[in-house]
Amino acid sequence: MAWKKPIIKNIACMNM
Amino acid sequence: MTTDPVPLLPRGTRLHQDRVRDTWVLLVPERALLLDEIGTAILQEVDGRSSLAAISCRLAERYGAPEPDVASDVREFLDGLVGQRLVDYQ
Repeated sequence: MAWKKPIIKNIACMNM
Repeated sequence: MTTDPVPLLPRGTRLHQDRVRDTWVLLVPERALLLDEIGTAILQEVDGRSSLAAISCRLAERYGAPEPDVASDVREFLDGLVGQRLVDYQ
């Protein structure tokens, strides 16, 4: 996979 | 704060692999954040010992990308997490 800007998203109020 | 800080995950914050969805999440008290592959790769390098420059250098080598671009993205990503108190700089 090529480098790209990282993404982080809040998980909507959605297995430990 | 130095110009080349050492990021670390604060107490209570950890990376967790969600095997069902084949993805990684950053778990913090009462919150969870979904990471893409690059975000996961960055946070897996955060060990409390490696500086931002060292992390960027390793990732640039791994992905065959220009180090300045990687360093800029890593810095922006981690600065954002520091702003949310999800990562600390020491």
